[in-house]
Amino acid sequence: MNPRPPPAVATLLEVRELAFARRDEPVFGPLDFDLESGEIGLVEGDNGSGKTTLLRILAGLLHASSGTVRVDGLAAGDPAAAGTALLLGHQLGLKADLSVRENLATAAGLYGRRERCGLDDTLVEVGLEGYADVPVRQLSAGQKKRAALARLRLLPARLWLLDEPFANLDRAGIALVNRLLDVQVASGGAALVTTHGAVSFRDQATRRIALS
Amino acid sequence: MSAPSARTGYVTILRRDLLLAWRRRGEAAFPVLYALIVATLFPFALGPEGALLARIAAGVVLVTVLLAMLLALDGLFRPDVEDGSLEQLLLAPQPLGLLLAAKILAHWLTTALPLLLASPLLAAMLHLPVAVLPVLLVALALATPLMSLLGALVVALTVGTRRSGMLLALMLLPLMVPVVIFAAGAVSAAQQGLPFIAPLAWLGAALVLALVLAPAACAAALRIALDA
Repeated sequence: MNPRPPPAVATLLEVRELAFARRDEPVFGPLDFDLESGEIGLVEGDNGSGKTTLLRILAGLLHASSGTVRVDGLAAGDPAAAGTALLLGHQLGLKADLSVRENLATAAGLYGRRERCGLDDTLVEVGLEGYADVPVRQLSAGQKKRAALARLRLLPARLWLLDEPFANLDRAGIALVNRLLDVQVASGGAALVTTHGAVSFRDQATRRIALS
Repeated sequence: MSAPSARTGYVTILRRDLLLAWRRRGEAAFPVLYALIVATLFPFALGPEGALLARIAAGVVLVTVLLAMLLALDGLFRPDVEDGSLEQLLLAPQPLGLLLAAKILAHWLTTALPLLLASPLLAAMLHLPVAVLPVLLVALALATPLMSLLGALVVALTVGTRRSGMLLALMLLPLMVPVVIFAAGAVSAAQQGLPFIAPLAWLGAALVLALVLAPAACAAALRIALDA
């Protein structure tokens, strides 16, 4: 709809003095950071430090108490900015009664599809070969996660907001997330990843955001 | 990387929800069975006197159908909230109101349409004169989408609360009073041989208004409900 050619280096995420309070109880902030294309941000913090809340604010689902968020130069929640960011939360957004293929087709029908990115190739890439027509209900927790990761690969979002992407994944799955992040960064995208620090993360993480 | 057209988004959601309903097609029978049982209780409670039943038949069918729809309304957004697909819907580069209109249409097709098809049976059980049946069906065809649209709005407002079933009934049923008055008014006018077009026209006008406003209002309500 808006074929803006992505510039070489773009500031995909701009956070200024962002703070959030729940019933006057400060949760985090004020935070200041940028995320440029080709960068991966690592949000670190203990349970309850507001990592999920931060991602929901950045996605535009939640209003911050103060401060501003700009996604690709536009205010978060601006309809023109929709689709730039893709959120992978604790609830994976998969319909249990639909097959992996039907779930991914639905997502592609709403968000569009990355160029030269076939559904079957993507499923091979995330290790779900042969599961295309299996209802999501019958997949294991790790396989469901992989199906959600396939959505990341398939949709054209330039900014990924990943909430605990390593949860429920085996060693190969963790390697898969790292590989997907590599592809995302190489194609000029960016990702913000939350973790409570239990996973040994790739050393390419270029920016660390600590919540206390 | 341009986003799919709004039409594609609309068709995607409509197809997804219809497919989901098809996968759980047994559940589509629940509202119909509920309406059937409730309508059966009336002759037992009031006695099988034909003239009395014929007088109340239209009203009973109408209220029974609306109550059966009320039971099904909770399933409009709750599953999507629980599995996170509503978030994906909200964040999609699509007009949210249009996507919700697709969801409401799918919901109407899978819950109200079976009730509409079953209503001649309910009416016959209650001795409604056959000549009046078309008027009742038209009234239901206008009243049930209104119920779906207003219901979706109230469901969207209450989706953040736990145990919203009773709250939904308390908020929605007062809104349905004018709908019931006009729909029942049309049928009883037809039964007495009076003109019945005017109340139906009022229902139609209300439906047009709801079609335009409810999806957008629903979108705003859902954004507020999730912002907590």
